[in-house]
Amino acid sequence: MKKIIPILLTLIFLALPLFAAGQPEEEGSITITFWTHEDPNRTALEERYIKEFEAANPDVTIERVTNSSKKMPELLLTAFAANEGPHIFNTQIEDGYAYIANGRVAPVNLKAAGYSSTSDLKNAYVDGVLNAVTEGGDVYGLPLELTNWAPYVNKRVFRDAGLDPEKDYPKTWEDIVAVSEKMVLRKGDIITRRGFDFRFPYYLVSMVPMVEQLGGKLVSDDGKTAIINDKAWLTFLEFMADWGPNGKNLGSPTYKNGRKLFNMDNNDMGMCLSGLYQIGRIRADNKEFYDSGDWMVIPFPQFENAVEDVASAYYGHYYMVNNQKSSREQEVAWEFISYMLSHSEEYLSEVGLIQPTKALMSSETFKNIPYGDVFANDLAKGHMVYYAENSAKIQELMKEAVEGVLLSGIAPEKALASLKVKAQEVLDQQ
Amino acid sequence: MKKKYSGIEKKLSRWGWYFVTPSLIFFMLFSFYPIINAAYISLFRKKILSLKAPDFLGLGNYKYLLSSSDFWNSMRATFVFTLGTFIPLVIVSLLLAVLIMGRNKGKKFLQLAYYSPAVLSSVVAAVIWMMIFDPRGIANQWLNFLVNTPGVDHLWLAKSFMVQFSTMLVYFWKYIGYFVVIFIAGLASIPHSLYEAAKIDGAVPRQIFWRITLPLLKPTVLLVSIMAMLQCLKTFGTQYLFVQAGSPQAPINVITLNIYNTGIRDHLLGRASAMSIILFVIMLFFTWLQFKTSKADDVDY
Repeated sequence: MKKIIPILLTLIFLALPLFAAGQPEEEGSITITFWTHEDPNRTALEERYIKEFEAANPDVTIERVTNSSKKMPELLLTAFAANEGPHIFNTQIEDGYAYIANGRVAPVNLKAAGYSSTSDLKNAYVDGVLNAVTEGGDVYGLPLELTNWAPYVNKRVFRDAGLDPEKDYPKTWEDIVAVSEKMVLRKGDIITRRGFDFRFPYYLVSMVPMVEQLGGKLVSDDGKTAIINDKAWLTFLEFMADWGPNGKNLGSPTYKNGRKLFNMDNNDMGMCLSGLYQIGRIRADNKEFYDSGDWMVIPFPQFENAVEDVASAYYGHYYMVNNQKSSREQEVAWEFISYMLSHSEEYLSEVGLIQPTKALMSSETFKNIPYGDVFANDLAKGHMVYYAENSAKIQELMKEAVEGVLLSGIAPEKALASLKVKAQEVLDQQ
Repeated sequence: MKKKYSGIEKKLSRWGWYFVTPSLIFFMLFSFYPIINAAYISLFRKKILSLKAPDFLGLGNYKYLLSSSDFWNSMRATFVFTLGTFIPLVIVSLLLAVLIMGRNKGKKFLQLAYYSPAVLSSVVAAVIWMMIFDPRGIANQWLNFLVNTPGVDHLWLAKSFMVQFSTMLVYFWKYIGYFVVIFIAGLASIPHSLYEAAKIDGAVPRQIFWRITLPLLKPTVLLVSIMAMLQCLKTFGTQYLFVQAGSPQAPINVITLNIYNTGIRDHLLGRASAMSIILFVIMLFFTWLQFKTSKADDVDY
């Protein structure tokens, strides 16, 4: 017994920190943690907004923490699983929807955000862009950015391949293949210059629309059936099989991201898919190339036999507020978000982010932004990316199918059959 | 009959407890508790973000996994990786250790050189190797030079077979030095007089290795083989980074990667826990089997 008591006391003493929890402060100074993804151009702006907000609210400290966009979903998830999520965070709607569905985020505090009612808030934004974050009549997030992708063209690479970029730029996916075949350079089988690079990990944004152009769908309108229109899917998978090393050998996901190479203008990337924000990154990475005007943005290609005019899907990064924080902290968090979002024209001109308010879309700033019209026209032809609690799993299944035909030489029919069964199973379990 | 401790023995046993307690607490908190917790969670439909009480499924998660082709593919990927990595690891590290011990000069340098990759994190190792395996990287250049196939892309990160082989190569490179050092420690503990006696009796090096070194090294071989096997069964970082870099997932979707994807990407913590318990049981079984089949007790010199 004598031995057990000191051991038990030691155990209790060591375990005490496990049960420690701070009381939420309703008065006095508070610290708001704000997690966001890395974007050097945006960091400069938001650091300034933080200073301004803190100066206007001396009892508030904002701690801005950045991580890579790839790491962010995982970090957020583990933090929330431990009930230690930040006050404010932003994430793509495909990942963010689960936080709304599970009641982990607070509805927009209308007063703090500067709106008189929910309809007032919805009226301020372009129709439909808040649908993804609306549940039971409440809005749970405000868009940091709404992004769609279009091909960026390096005119120098076009000219080097004997093409006239103004006339020969691709309008269809078949054109993409044709000009890529002219631009591609290889040492044996190894590609040293690519004509075009897909955004491979993001199949829901860039590749589902390709299927939709052919009349297919990822999920039926009632949300019960996966992979609609086998013929459309098969045509798409055959196209991808033909693109890869077992076909025309025009590129693969194992080569470096095209959008990272594009800015350097090293004669190794003809076209890449990216958002409006890429313009700011070209300017930051390679001023000479940016100023040369030897690049341009063209509309999202269509298949020659397309039955639907569909452009890239768009995805939203929404600012959200942790529901587990005190009401005062939530209020301050929404005030700060609202303060940041009141600078939407600066976000557009400095970072290339579209915060889709009606005021911004009709502003002179938007009209004057280079290639803003290309993205705006495509935006009108696109739709919000597929979002649900299972969207990451569905994207993984698409990855498996596309990479199966592209890299592993799996027959498109077999890849499609497997995709259908697995995607349906995921939907059925929802 | 229970032994009664008194005097110095009692004091020593008390101090023994004091010294052992921190590591016991550490083990209970960070190893034993998570295992028990995972076993408990595996019985529920637990979603990582849900604040609601999870539904009790009993063995539902286990039944689902045993009928899931995805899970069986992960079992295949794990066993292919384990067999393809741990057997060469044990054999080659033993041979390298014997070779290094047989040298008069440069022993320390070789140990250090072989061991250095082991101090790198799996992530750093995988990043280095991703650059090597890049289509324009040195893996293609060297192989094409060696087999005189200029310009051939061997698709190290793309083809189903090659991507499995690539993960094995990274792991082999990373851990070979670690096990070489353990074998060297085992070899150093074999009394030199036995070798001298064998040489006087006219034994050739091959006979010395098979009749003296290997039997006396049996406990070390057992230790290395168990450690190598468990490390291989738990492999994660290399496969994760390769998939992130664009490699197809199915060929290298080892159980740990599947656990991660199921828990973190799909938010299904209950199912991920069930998978981790199955992996735990597999590891336990193979460790027991190796002990059982080796019959390796302490060796008397």
